Amino acid sequence: MTLLSRLAAAALLTLGVAAAPADSPVNVQEPEGFHTGPQQGYTPPTLKGAVVLDIDGLDRVVATGKAVLIDVALADRRPAGMAPDKPWLPAHRSVPGAIWMPNAGAAPLDPAHENLFLARVAELTGGDKARPIVTFCHPDCWGSWNAGKRLVQAGYTAVHWFPTGIEGWQERHETAVLKEDPAWAARSTNAAQR
Amino acid sequence: MGVIPPHLPYQRRHAMKPFATALALSLTIACPTLAFAAGASDTDAERLARWNEIRTSIFGDKAVQPTETLVKVDAPVRALDAALVPITLTMPEPGKVAGVSLVIDDNPSPYAANITFGPAADPSEIKLRVRVNNYTNVHAVVRTKDGGLFETAKFVKASGGCSAPMGMSDEEAMKGMGDMRMKFAEGPHGAKSTEATLMIRHPNFSGMQMNQITRDYTPARYIQKVVVSQGARNILTLDGDISIASNPVINFAFLPEGTAPVTVVASDNQDGRWEHSFPVPSPSN
Repeated sequence: MTLLSRLAAAALLTLGVAAAPADSPVNVQEPEGFHTGPQQGYTPPTLKGAVVLDIDGLDRVVATGKAVLIDVALADRRPAGMAPDKPWLPAHRSVPGAIWMPNAGAAPLDPAHENLFLARVAELTGGDKARPIVTFCHPDCWGSWNAGKRLVQAGYTAVHWFPTGIEGWQERHETAVLKEDPAWAARSTNAAQR
Repeated sequence: MGVIPPHLPYQRRHAMKPFATALALSLTIACPTLAFAAGASDTDAERLARWNEIRTSIFGDKAVQPTETLVKVDAPVRALDAALVPITLTMPEPGKVAGVSLVIDDNPSPYAANITFGPAADPSEIKLRVRVNNYTNVHAVVRTKDGGLFETAKFVKASGGCSAPMGMSDEEAMKGMGDMRMKFAEGPHGAKSTEATLMIRHPNFSGMQMNQITRDYTPARYIQKVVVSQGARNILTLDGDISIASNPVINFAFLPEGTAPVTVVASDNQDGRWEHSFPVPSPSN
C-alpha cells in the first residue's frame, strides 16, 4: 500500500473518532443500518428488533429444540508468506449443531451472497418467520450483529443475538468442529474476508 | 432473557478485562446439563482424530508412544493472554533426548516448534511463549537418541491468540527487529549446566492479524530458524512457526565449556537474518 493511501486511511480514522464512539466497551451506539467498519470492535449492548442473549438465555433458547443457530465467524485462511511445507489444518470449533456461514455478517455484502444467505435461512427455518434464530461469532465481532440486523430487516420476528459467541459457549459447553455450510460454501468468493 | 454481561474473559483483543473475571466465575458455577452439545466421549474422539491427523502429517507412519516420564507439558489451564501463553517442557531424562516438538492441536498451523538439541545442550527444560487460537490440547513429542517418538499432552483454555493484533502499528511492531538479549542463570544441574533466556525482538506476525486501519491482513513474518551455539558446539536449533508469540522468548539450558561466547543466528521467512554473540559468565559467578 502506498504511503499516500496509508495517510488517507489514517486521516479517515482520525475523522471517524468524532462521530464513532471511543475505543471503549461502554456506550457503543447502534448504527442506523449495518456496521460497515472492521468486523472486530466493541459492539452495542442492543440490537433493535432482536433479543440479546447471554449464555443462560442461549441455553434456554437451545433447550426449546427449535432454534436455528447461525455462526458467521470468519474462516481461517492460510497466511500469505507462510512456508509451503508447514502443515495448515484449520478446524473451526463452534456450537454443536450450528450452521456455519463464514462472513455472512459482512457489510456491505455482495447482493448475490445476501440473497443466498436469506434463502438459506428461509430453508433452515422452513419458511417460518417466527422460528427462533440465533446469530453469533466471537466477542467484539460485528458480523453476528449485522447478520441479526439483516434477519430483522428480512422480517424475522424471533431473532436472537449472542454477542459472546463461540467463546461464550465454550466457557460452559464443549465445542464441535463445524464444516462450512455446503450451500454457503458453493458461493463464489473472490473478495477477501473482512 | 438475561441481560448480557459486558464480556466474558476473552483474549482476542485485550490482555485482560479485569471486570470480566468475576462475572465469568459467577457464570461457570452453575453448569446445567448440556442441551444438545456433543457428549464428552464424542468430543474426546474428535480431539483424538484431530491429533491423529496432525501426527500423521508431521511424523508419517512412525509410531508415537504415550509417555509419562520422558516429557511433561506445563501450561496455565486458563491463559490470561491467548497471544502469550507460557509453555514449559520438562524432560527428566535429558540424556535420552535428541529433540522435542511442540504441537498446538487446534491452531490452524498446529506445528508450533521443533527443537533439535546439539552436543552442548542440557535438554532438561525448554520454555517458550505461544499463541493459542482455541481451547486445545497442547502436545509435546520427544525424539529419543535411539529414534523413538514419545508424546504427552495438556489441555489449555485460551482463545483468539493467532489473530490478536499487537496494539500498535506494523511499523512500530517491527522497530528494532532482530535485536536480541540473553540472560544467564545457574542451571538445574548446579554448576554443570547454565540456564539461558534468549529474547528476540521480532513481531512474528501470524498472517492472521488484521490491521485495524487498512483492514488488510498483515502478511506472515515469523522466525523460521534459530541456531544457538557455544563456539563450535551446537546447543539447539529451533524451527519456528506463526504460533510462536511476538518477541520470542526461549529458555533453555546448556553445558558451558571454556570461554567462547554463545552465538545466536535467527532467520525469518522473509530473508531477515540476525546474528548476535553473548559472553558466557565465568563459572565463579
